Amino acid sequence: MDPTQFDRSRLHEIIGDYRDRKWALIPLLQEIQEEFGFIPPESIEPVAEALNMFASQVQGVITFYSGFSLKPKGRCVLRVCRGTACHVKGSRSILRLVKKELELEEGETSSDYQFTLETVACLGACFLAPTMMVNKDYFGRLNPTKVVSVLGEYRKDKEDD
Amino acid sequence: MESIALTINGKKVTCRTGDTLLSVAEKNNIFIPALCHHPELKPYGACRMCLVEDEKSGRLMAACVTPAAKDMAVLTDTDRIIHHRKNIVRLMMAEHPESCIVCSKGNRCELRALAARLGIAETRLYPMPNHKPYEELNPFIVRDLSKCILCGKCIRADHELVATGAIDYNDRGFCSRPATLMERPLEDSTCTFCGTCVSMCPTGALSAKHAGYVGTPEKQKDSICGFCGAGCSLAMGTSGGRVVEVNPLKLKGSVNGSTLCVRGHFAHDFLNNAGRLHQPLIRTRNENGDEKFEPAEWNKAVSRAAESLAEIKRTHGPGSIAFIGSPKCSTEENYLFQKIARVMFGTNNVTSTGTINGQTLLRRMEEKTMGAARTMPLSELEKAEAIVTVCFDPDNTVPVAGYHVKRAARAGTPLVTIDARKTRLAGFAGARIRPESGMEPNARIPALIYALADKIADPGGTSTDFIRQYTSGWEECKAAIDSLLSAQPLSAAEEREIKRAAQMLSGRKIGLVLGADVMEQAHGTQIADAAFDLILAAGSIGASNAGIFIPAPESNTVGAMDMGMAPDLLPGRHPLSDPEARKHLERLWNTKLSPDPGLDLCGIVEAAESGHLKGLYIMGENLVRTLPDPDRVANALKKIDFIATQDIFENRTTRLAHVVLPGSAFAEKAGSFTNMEGRIQSFSQAATPPGQALADWRILGLLAQNMGYPEQYTTIEKIRQEIRKTVPMYAAIGNHRQEWIKNADADTPFSGNGHRFTFAAVEPPPQASGQKGFTAVLGPLRWHLAGGTRTSRSARINAWNRDNLARLSASDIGSLAIPEGGKIRIVSDHGAIERSFVADPAVLPGQVFVPTGFSGNEAAALAGIEAIRTPAPAWRTCRVSIEKI
Repeated sequence: MDPTQFDRSRLHEIIGDYRDRKWALIPLLQEIQEEFGFIPPESIEPVAEALNMFASQVQGVITFYSGFSLKPKGRCVLRVCRGTACHVKGSRSILRLVKKELELEEGETSSDYQFTLETVACLGACFLAPTMMVNKDYFGRLNPTKVVSVLGEYRKDKEDD
Repeated sequence: MESIALTINGKKVTCRTGDTLLSVAEKNNIFIPALCHHPELKPYGACRMCLVEDEKSGRLMAACVTPAAKDMAVLTDTDRIIHHRKNIVRLMMAEHPESCIVCSKGNRCELRALAARLGIAETRLYPMPNHKPYEELNPFIVRDLSKCILCGKCIRADHELVATGAIDYNDRGFCSRPATLMERPLEDSTCTFCGTCVSMCPTGALSAKHAGYVGTPEKQKDSICGFCGAGCSLAMGTSGGRVVEVNPLKLKGSVNGSTLCVRGHFAHDFLNNAGRLHQPLIRTRNENGDEKFEPAEWNKAVSRAAESLAEIKRTHGPGSIAFIGSPKCSTEENYLFQKIARVMFGTNNVTSTGTINGQTLLRRMEEKTMGAARTMPLSELEKAEAIVTVCFDPDNTVPVAGYHVKRAARAGTPLVTIDARKTRLAGFAGARIRPESGMEPNARIPALIYALADKIADPGGTSTDFIRQYTSGWEECKAAIDSLLSAQPLSAAEEREIKRAAQMLSGRKIGLVLGADVMEQAHGTQIADAAFDLILAAGSIGASNAGIFIPAPESNTVGAMDMGMAPDLLPGRHPLSDPEARKHLERLWNTKLSPDPGLDLCGIVEAAESGHLKGLYIMGENLVRTLPDPDRVANALKKIDFIATQDIFENRTTRLAHVVLPGSAFAEKAGSFTNMEGRIQSFSQAATPPGQALADWRILGLLAQNMGYPEQYTTIEKIRQEIRKTVPMYAAIGNHRQEWIKNADADTPFSGNGHRFTFAAVEPPPQASGQKGFTAVLGPLRWHLAGGTRTSRSARINAWNRDNLARLSASDIGSLAIPEGGKIRIVSDHGAIERSFVADPAVLPGQVFVPTGFSGNEAAALAGIEAIRTPAPAWRTCRVSIEKI
């Protein structure tokens, strides 16, 4: 899969639904990101044109929010919690292990677009520390064995394709 | 509005509802420091420098965004506030590079001034250098974002004042910075290099790229920009008498406010070009027959010119001499110039290149409006109920007029654009009326305008009161529109846009901006007439904040016209054929004026070729560059017995002259320009002319003296006095820096004299010619003004050599099968040029846009001299074929 080859007609369909609704910039960007996994940089200018904004303004909003990404992400986005509670419970070692297992640094995406590794300040599930998320699923009370088995699950996910 | 009383530092002050604390303090001469505040920008509250303390609650507030309230008690310089301010500046300095000594912002750096005021030498903080992009590849703006303090002035000026949108903040926190789309360099972004951000930047993050000058200029002198017809007020920084920097002048009510354009801001380095003329030259021939130019004393050179021309007049008569002036020269100079021609030489052969660049349209509209559109302040556009633009591309002609339109559109004023080209301005419009391809695009525009006029003139089937009361010919016009549209019905897309436009405009008064070069294009007269009829249909003449705005292409296009710089026009916009006007001037000038119009530019070239023209006096114009068909013009000039020329540069025309007199550019002399609004702006000398060069009006004064004329023109005031007496429209010239054309003698239908505005007789559309090839449009891009005689001498503009390309539609490039990056040869009946090309979605199939001013203005070779024959000099459109190289 090459995420840079996205469906342009679908993009214009989404943008078309929001034409001239300047207030809806963020929902529109969210929908684009939901559809393609990221916001293709090529979409900035058509979005700006549809909403009567400057392209630089649209880009400014995208780069301001860490929830938006202009780069393609993997199918599985790992978010390792680096909050205080998780830190006390050893999340540094968890992160080190994940990095070693996936051969990725923070913010990187694997070349086959299977994994993206990110860290977050808190996942809000401190009672399960140390925690991480893969896409929308939580994994708590992590230890090295559990991490390896979780990663294994998502690797398998790929082989099933 | 309600008045509010409050105290600042114990002092009782009053203000109006809605005033911010900062503005109240400013009005009462209480200093509050601020870095992100600018009076023309919306309050922003970014820098927190303007913190003030509420005496009662102890709360700290940013004065620039806090509205004054009743009974407020505010303190502006308590120890606590000073402490906070110091900390903010310390933090800014901690991430600021230690390069103040070499920074070209020098003593004008607001951050440095504030640090000095607060007594911060060392921050005593851990330095946190913030390495951000450094950019200096374009010839205009140096961006060193490591010096950026994130005040946001550049971004806000970009969005709010010039509405370009090239930059906005990217990222957040420590990483945030002003960035272009995809962080491309400025030259690959939508930036127009207007430089407004450079003048606003409080630190050295944005500065003008200088070749050979660093630091603060010694002096600042006021001036008026001498490029386009906007007439921007300038603050010229000079050092050693040379202009080294230009910024917009802080002057209330000026046409430009804090904005400029790329020419106004960056092209003034042409003044210091090495090609300037320093001393009078006389062409001599030695015994071997070799010709060369020899330096001469002023008196010798001027008397040589006077004697030679007087001799020609004696032997061949006044009709054998012609005078060509310039819309770049001041009103005083043009007045004196045509007076010399008409009174001392008794000829009406007096004209200027303005007659083929803008004045055609100005004169037609003067005639149609009967003088009801002489003063049209651009600020009214921002208050207009609706705006329509016709064939107006502000980005490449008069950018400052475009800022007004774009600001209005962004603030919600309905905007309709009508143009064959898809301009950037169209991006701001709610309805874009554009002919479809398939025929000559300009030929279609009148029908589209009339279709719109028809829809708004008859809401509910009855014509408006305005039409009934002040106009004639609507019924005939309407019938003609109906038959026009039944012969060539609107397409679905045209119908849709026109319907949308009609909805936007219905019941509103319209401000209409009409591109000044429209009458220099094919079908221009019909387009101009249709635009005028649209204004009549909307009843928008004589109403406030409405009417016709014509962005004059050059600084004194209007002034030169008003001084009678045309073979059939007298000062004060009176036709030469008007016996009353002639009698008035004959009495004042104590002379006899011939009622026969003189030669226009085309006539002058033809008369030179046939040998009838023996003498020519040129002021401030490089004819061989500016006129179409340069080779033919040069050959014609070679046949003239005697040519005297006043110019600032050595050029192709001065090389053909017999006497060359070095003149001065606008910043180097006093004078007045009349801008597109009808604002007469007087300016005084800001810089020293090079060498022995003199102000052009002084040279003309010397000429008059040498001709034995009794009046002595030794001061500019003397000429102004005479203009005040002779031309009632200019009764106020020079009284103050800014005056307006007086409209007293205009005979408009509103004065109850029974006159009526008339709708034009709509012409049937021309038959499709079936000619093969392309329609070439010779038009300006923002870098060069007109033929580029001055802008091409600017090192900065010359370094920008990217926009020389001919523009074609992608489909034509495909069908011509020309490879990308290659060159094409554009061939017309008159000449051929070679250009690289680029696909441009703004251009319709069948069209090719060729920018003028570049590469010695070679594009002029495509047009023919016959095309500039007045009154419809449609030289900008020509049929061409395109060949692959």
